Amino acid sequence: MRTYRKFQICSCLVLLVGLMSCTTLEEQIGAVSPVKVSASDAQAAVKVGKALRNSFADITEEEEYYIGRAVSALILSMYPVYENNALTRYINMVGQAVAMNSGRPEIYAGYHFLILDTEEVNALSAPSGFIFITKGLLKRCHDEEMIANILAHEVSHVTAKHGLQSIKKSRLVDAFTILGQEATKKYGPQELAQLTSIFEGVLTDIVGDLVERGYDRKYEYEADKLAVKVATSTGYDPDGLIDFLQTMVDDSAGQSGKGWFKTHPSANDRMGRVQKQISGLKSVPEVQQVRTSRFQKSTQGLK
Amino acid sequence: MKKLPRLKTLLVCVFIVLVTVLVAETLMVKVQTTYLRNEPKFYASTVAVLNAGEVVETISEANGWYQVRTAKGTVGWLHSSAVQTGKFNLAAIDKSLKTQATADEIALAGKGFNKQVEESYRAQHSEANFSGVDRMLKIKVTQSRLLEFLKEGKLGIYGGRP
Repeated sequence: MRTYRKFQICSCLVLLVGLMSCTTLEEQIGAVSPVKVSASDAQAAVKVGKALRNSFADITEEEEYYIGRAVSALILSMYPVYENNALTRYINMVGQAVAMNSGRPEIYAGYHFLILDTEEVNALSAPSGFIFITKGLLKRCHDEEMIANILAHEVSHVTAKHGLQSIKKSRLVDAFTILGQEATKKYGPQELAQLTSIFEGVLTDIVGDLVERGYDRKYEYEADKLAVKVATSTGYDPDGLIDFLQTMVDDSAGQSGKGWFKTHPSANDRMGRVQKQISGLKSVPEVQQVRTSRFQKSTQGLK
Repeated sequence: MKKLPRLKTLLVCVFIVLVTVLVAETLMVKVQTTYLRNEPKFYASTVAVLNAGEVVETISEANGWYQVRTAKGTVGWLHSSAVQTGKFNLAAIDKSLKTQATADEIALAGKGFNKQVEESYRAQHSEANFSGVDRMLKIKVTQSRLLEFLKEGKLGIYGGRP
């Protein structure tokens, strides 16, 4: 009998906690009626959606994908692709390995890596995991540790959404306002024209930073910092990043101001910061000859 | 006389089940496709494939992974970066799990910069190389090839970690 009474008391407590949680849930969803979405539900909900969205962080994963696609389409209109299937596959293996150990291993359509056929030294990351490295940059790498650290840096720009932060806030406010007025998925001609115009502006902001102006220095430092963590947790020696930066310091021809030299802070400055971070690590993975060998084999035909 | 306590017990049990269903957290898949795995690791075997918008129920959480139950009742693990937390209502138990996203989430899904906006942009910008992007998206690395690559290079679980 006493056991039964205890059982009753426990059940009441569980029920009480449950009801309290339900209230919290209801508050979390803004007291919007869920279930099937009628037109009126959607209209009411859009107000909530509008109130919820006001910065780059509120761009959905799917929207980021469409932005990333268009940024990549513009990059691919500026540079030809280096057609080398074996090398592209190898770069994608290294890239996937580091992406898996990043803060955002899963992304809308996955990470993809491509080599651009130019002697310019550069690496570009479009939102949603479209990452480009140039043939000129690859030629500077001596081993897999170097390219892995560079890819870890680019993946980190994606995970931290640095590209999306290039978008002027006013454009997002305009876009979210239009979206707040329209409940259907299919836009009318007027909304579509307005959104397309905003989309063009968004691309101008991002491509301008990627190709012309470069990211804010603080984003480059942040990407370096994350890259050291990501490379290390993947099993790569983070000194690969130092080695790459050293090649940039030693390059006198590169200082003419194209590509990477134009859009990144000084390699010396970055090296100092990265070195300090690595010195603070308890241990770092060792370079494995098998990785260096497969890098050399994959890049031997690089022209 | 014994029937009454039994009835009460039954009612209490029903309440407990109901409360468990109501307070369980749900998650919505936010990436195009993700894999439900049998362990909380990327190297683990796949038990189901889930697509954007599918809603699952959380069972437990460990190191950035959620153990979940799908609408079909399959149990497995999803990485936290593949899902969105918190804004889905479980009270609509008469509906399929996929219809339970709250109205504001549904209103946002597929909206904003979407395929229609891309098509409109493409119509005005023939210079943008979208076919190149589609080719880039076809580059796939299978899990087995990646595992071989990691093993050969002594990376990840194969001994690379300090």
